[in-house]
Amino acid sequence: MEINLRKPEFVMKLDRLGSFHQSKLSFLRSFIREFKDWDFYNHELILDNKGFGHGIYVVQKDEKQYSLVCFSNHLNDNDRSDRVIATKWDASFVLFDGIPTQEDIQRLKENVPLQEQGRVSEKELCLSRANKSVRVFEHVVDSLSKGQQPDTSLLYDVGYLYRTTAVYGSGKFGLADRIKIQDRGELKGPFRLEMMLVYLARQFTFDIVNHVAYERSPKDAVKLSDDIARNLGIGNSTGLGMAPFIVNHPALLNQWIRAKEKALQAIRLISTIEENEKKTFQSYLTTIQENIKYWKTDSPYQIEKNNQLLKDLKEFQEYFLNLPIEKSFWNTVYLWAEQNTKPECCEFIVSLMMEVYPDIVEPLSYEMSIDEEEYFDIDSSRNVDDVCKLIEQQYAWLLDINFNQKENIFNFWYYSKNKQEPRMSDRFSEEGSDLELPLAIARDIQSLYRELKTMKSGSDVGSYLSKNQQYRHVLRRVFICEKLPYSEIQDNTISKSLIPVDMLRLKLSFFGATRFDPRSDRWVRITMYQGAPLMKEIKKSNDTWSYKKIA
Amino acid sequence: MQSLYEIETTIKRVSKSQGLSWGISEEAGKAIRSLEQSNLNGLESFKRLIDYGFNNLTKLLQTNQTNTQNLCPIHFGLFFYDQSHKKEIHKTFNFYELREPLIIIPFILKAAKRNLVYFKLNSKDFSLSITPGNIFSLTKGEIPQSLSDFTLSVIPQREVNYSEKTWDELYQLSLDTFVDESEEKKLSGAGAGLTDND
Repeated sequence: MEINLRKPEFVMKLDRLGSFHQSKLSFLRSFIREFKDWDFYNHELILDNKGFGHGIYVVQKDEKQYSLVCFSNHLNDNDRSDRVIATKWDASFVLFDGIPTQEDIQRLKENVPLQEQGRVSEKELCLSRANKSVRVFEHVVDSLSKGQQPDTSLLYDVGYLYRTTAVYGSGKFGLADRIKIQDRGELKGPFRLEMMLVYLARQFTFDIVNHVAYERSPKDAVKLSDDIARNLGIGNSTGLGMAPFIVNHPALLNQWIRAKEKALQAIRLISTIEENEKKTFQSYLTTIQENIKYWKTDSPYQIEKNNQLLKDLKEFQEYFLNLPIEKSFWNTVYLWAEQNTKPECCEFIVSLMMEVYPDIVEPLSYEMSIDEEEYFDIDSSRNVDDVCKLIEQQYAWLLDINFNQKENIFNFWYYSKNKQEPRMSDRFSEEGSDLELPLAIARDIQSLYRELKTMKSGSDVGSYLSKNQQYRHVLRRVFICEKLPYSEIQDNTISKSLIPVDMLRLKLSFFGATRFDPRSDRWVRITMYQGAPLMKEIKKSNDTWSYKKIA
Repeated sequence: MQSLYEIETTIKRVSKSQGLSWGISEEAGKAIRSLEQSNLNGLESFKRLIDYGFNNLTKLLQTNQTNTQNLCPIHFGLFFYDQSHKKEIHKTFNFYELREPLIIIPFILKAAKRNLVYFKLNSKDFSLSITPGNIFSLTKGEIPQSLSDFTLSVIPQREVNYSEKTWDELYQLSLDTFVDESEEKKLSGAGAGLTDND
């Protein structure tokens, strides 16, 4: 039986990409798999009775060491903001390459709490900050200080004690360039260091509540139980800044999607399965349907998607229970899901199928990085007729878009001067479109195509470039897409109907985020590491924690 | 110290702010990053270019261009990067003046590697050679801030840079790794015992 990879024109639509769920390929899970045999320990925790001070957490194996330096500072309630324009936070973090000296700690103390306004060095690898969920933090500290465990219904509704509002890496604000660490074996997967930072920061949030509760009432205080702590993750608020990343890194995007598609293809190709494989899938399906009730959101968009997911899952459950084990079982399951459910449910089932086959899926996580520089150069010896054909084949979806219509060019992307972060605005009512970022891929490739069509047949790309360089940035992409077909989102990223949250969701699902809670069409709250093993038990992790029942 | 990421993104944005297209700006960012990564003073060179003003620079767009005063190194480098696969480019060109010639190096290095061509830049006080093997060599002084009255040769074939005598001596030494064969071994080698006229 032949089963091809799903076609880019099917997968790379934003309504499907924006329905992706965490899976075995997600970066926070591959981080734990990669580092589970390393030593994790608290190196230093110097906090006052209100929990202000610093802590250092070390991840170590043989001579290799990474340290998370955490700072906890007082923050007035009216200064607490999840928005990227905030300038103060409850906590700030920096991942250090090695173990910092006292001089390093002093330097970091003066800079890390300032985040974008501070300056770090190439000794540092990642930078982040977080704010308390004040409601949950106070409840937990109050309960623990009275010798009681907190109310889990409140805790699990929120899912975390702190939420991060940005995680920076790869050379930003003076951090080490990726080139410094790219050849380290343990960092071969994407965003490994960012995942390490968030994982260690989660431990810091537990240590703070335990410390403050103890300081409030040394005689009565108890520690947060491991079972409750394990079911708390760390939150994250993410805005539009994340969206351009997946457009600006087409080769990397291809690797992520291709790994998922290869996993699905391999599973669909399994000809015979045993009853226990079906049972394993069913057990994950049962648990996750229970956990979905903790996916709280006020977003009508997400509420509708979640309701549809539950409805589709109910129908799928009935179908699945009655499905006899026959040849090509998973291919039958997948085809049913594709034909009978919305993308939210279909992609959910794909993620669940991947859980059953770690031997197929986990090795693919090592294929999710790529040297992007290898794909940067333009082959100017290529014939323009060939390039036109490539566009007709790979970008057929954009050739008929009428870019004279207002709704098709409604938005423009730009860099905010205030925060040096990408933003999106209405081209027709706001200023700045003359400084538009090169993210209008569909519009520019159509323009490139029209220009190439005016060139003399048989002429080469070099001849075109000697006359016009305006579309050089998208010409590059056409060649990338030729080699890496999952590199391009196949939707118009400047249209009025664009839902940017779908772009965020795509990236966050690969991070391993859960509980998507869009707060508007432009930013979203999520949870990471909910259910993940605690630092002290990471060695025992078997990568099934994502499908443990929360309560 | 700024990271290479900061250097690349800043140069890209500056280039765009000065009127270059996004595609060229991306190339400029990578070029300056690569110079700085090699401890060459690309950032200062780029700053002098900005101070001089892109509007005062001449873009190299074709081989028979008559105005080659104040040539922009980014467009100069890109021109040869984009065109050096063509046979008609494989010759020697005369130019009047090039600003900040350091900046052409990353472009020419990539062109040499991709198209397997050799570049030789020559002026009275300075010469530069770039090969497909990611090697460039300077002779006659340091890279000036401006280069006048110079030639650029694009050569499709490797040149012989050694004497026949040197080669012969080295070849003779290489023979020391060979073993003399006895008559008996010669007779029992491949094809032994067979007639070649079968």
